[in-house]
Amino acid sequence: MTTEVEYVIEVENLTKRYGSLMAVDDISFKVRQGEVFAFLGPNGAGKTTTVEIVETIRRPTSGKVRLLGMDVTKKKRDIVPRIGVLPQGFSSFDRITVRETMQYYSRLFGCRNADIDGLIELVNLKDKAKERYMKLSGGLRQRLGIAIALVNDPEVVFLDEPTTGLDPRARRQVWEVLLGLKKKGKTVFLTTHYMEEAELLADTVAIISKGKIIAMDSLVQLIENNADYLLLTVTLQSVDEKAFEVVGKMGFKPVLNNHRNINVRVERAEDIRKILNAMKEAGVPLLSMDVRKPNLEQIFLKLTGEALHEDTSGGRGAE
Amino acid sequence: MNLRVVGASLVVSLKSFYREKTTMFFTTTFPILLILVFGTIFMEQDKVRFDLCVQDLDQTETSAEIAKALALSGRFKLTRVDPAIDATQYARDNNVNLVLIIPKEYEKSYIQYIQFDDPRAFVNITYVYDPSSSSVITKMQLLNLAFAKMNQGLSAKSPFVRTSEISIHTKKYRFIDFFIPGIIAMAVMTASLFGSVNVNTELRQKGIIRKLSTTPITRTDWVLSNILYQFLLAVISTTAMLSVSYAVFDVRLQINAWLPLFIILDVFTFVGIGMILTRIVKEAQSAAAAANAIIFPMMFLSGSFFPLEMMPRFLQTFARALPLYYINEGLRASMVFRDNAAALSYSAIIGIVAALVFIVGITATRWEEGI
Repeated sequence: MTTEVEYVIEVENLTKRYGSLMAVDDISFKVRQGEVFAFLGPNGAGKTTTVEIVETIRRPTSGKVRLLGMDVTKKKRDIVPRIGVLPQGFSSFDRITVRETMQYYSRLFGCRNADIDGLIELVNLKDKAKERYMKLSGGLRQRLGIAIALVNDPEVVFLDEPTTGLDPRARRQVWEVLLGLKKKGKTVFLTTHYMEEAELLADTVAIISKGKIIAMDSLVQLIENNADYLLLTVTLQSVDEKAFEVVGKMGFKPVLNNHRNINVRVERAEDIRKILNAMKEAGVPLLSMDVRKPNLEQIFLKLTGEALHEDTSGGRGAE
Repeated sequence: MNLRVVGASLVVSLKSFYREKTTMFFTTTFPILLILVFGTIFMEQDKVRFDLCVQDLDQTETSAEIAKALALSGRFKLTRVDPAIDATQYARDNNVNLVLIIPKEYEKSYIQYIQFDDPRAFVNITYVYDPSSSSVITKMQLLNLAFAKMNQGLSAKSPFVRTSEISIHTKKYRFIDFFIPGIIAMAVMTASLFGSVNVNTELRQKGIIRKLSTTPITRTDWVLSNILYQFLLAVISTTAMLSVSYAVFDVRLQINAWLPLFIILDVFTFVGIGMILTRIVKEAQSAAAAANAIIFPMMFLSGSFFPLEMMPRFLQTFARALPLYYINEGLRASMVFRDNAAALSYSAIIGIVAALVFIVGITATRWEEGI
């Protein structure tokens, strides 16, 4: 079945229950062809359970899931050759080299013409092609996992927490690879608990918390819809108690940040002008100022009441 | 050394142990079962009564006395063999490892020895025996001991009862010839079971199976590739074992098509059992313990090292239900006795077992996560 479908993933009223635990609670969403769809949520929110149902690893308790127009519970054999998966906590055969691993997976998919060298280059592993998997660092392993997920030139790529457990440098290197995928126009389903990752890569973000989707939109729209305040940051020439007093008297709640920075949440743009004027009149020496809309992390906090980063080391268990 | 730290770590280990019930079972209950089973065997060893077939060719009161004396010793349970039939054939047909033959004119010689005090008079009692049986040596030693006592009781002169041995096999075999096929069967079993358990638990724990389940490889493809891998390992190890056996012990074994057939059946059976085990036991540590729990009884109970006859009846029956027993016997039938009919029947039995276990094993192997 190779008919073009507008939505490559269609999830309707999906529920997954483990005994008394409701891991995924009646969620519905659709993913368009060619978009990067990010499933954002803290550990245990139900991200991995959902993605594993979509990519045919798990079976749903109830609900309908269609991938590339096919029912995931009935058409696994037809679906699998057309998708690429980087599972959570990806691992491979310890004593097999990068290149051999790629060759193995390309054979599994029957891809005689797979551009193994090209993929190795894409994920920046050219120097490590002859290295055994056990000798690779965490970041290199994830990059190999991504290359494997692309070996069959899939129509949809699933990346389940691709940078969890990586140090910031390794994370950036993985992001570069993912940006490359985005440029190629691949449909990517990404689960992450890193807000920066979603901000950097996603066209659409679904925020999942305790098994339910609580917000879903394009990144811009999500921020627009939920940004009902602005964040003013004023940098002073030196620490000045007077600045605090002035802003406090106006009815705002200033927060000292980084010794010389004062953060103030305001609801209207004209409040910014008022605050700056008051400071000027009081003779507070200003160095610079910055006005921002809240970012995804702050919106997440607002919507769910819980922090996104409970655990930055990353858990491996299914959520 | 910080005792507080040692103590805290100990508590964590104990809690983990307690919470993994299967490890607990195989660490505590299983050794207890072993002690109970083998303890019973060894405790009962003094009371073990061997089956002894006696063919009395003399058919006199005196010859009946000697058989009676053996029965009264409490070590033998006698079965009478019709003097008209061929003892060797009887042993072969009835799977009997020893037939004791009291010769004709036993009574006449006895009278000669006792009444006429003739030191040249003696009887030759024949053991028609199966050298491939691991318990036959013990049985013959016990008989020799009984006859030595009889001789002592009779007089201090030259012994009256003398013994000779006739193998039921037309060719001459040594124990090593029977031992090697048993070792091959056991080595292949161990490698296949552990290989299967290790591959399945380790790759599952590492998440490799999860990744593979998102590729076109099917559960059957995966299992077959594992079987093939185990078969190649088994061929390598069997070749090594046979080479050493030929070079060092100069064994005389028949290598024919039965050998690879029994090896592949051995591999199928134990890879299948390994797959079932890994379904039941999830942790790698417990899986290894469970594999041991299968291997040890098989090693002891399938007649490779330990005579079946010395075991209580229920264990003997149990032993005959173990697949390794049939692989052992099948390999011996083909490699030692060149008995194609026997090899065929053993291969049919183990073939059915292998097919069943393998099908259950494939069904038991989880490819998708959860339900």
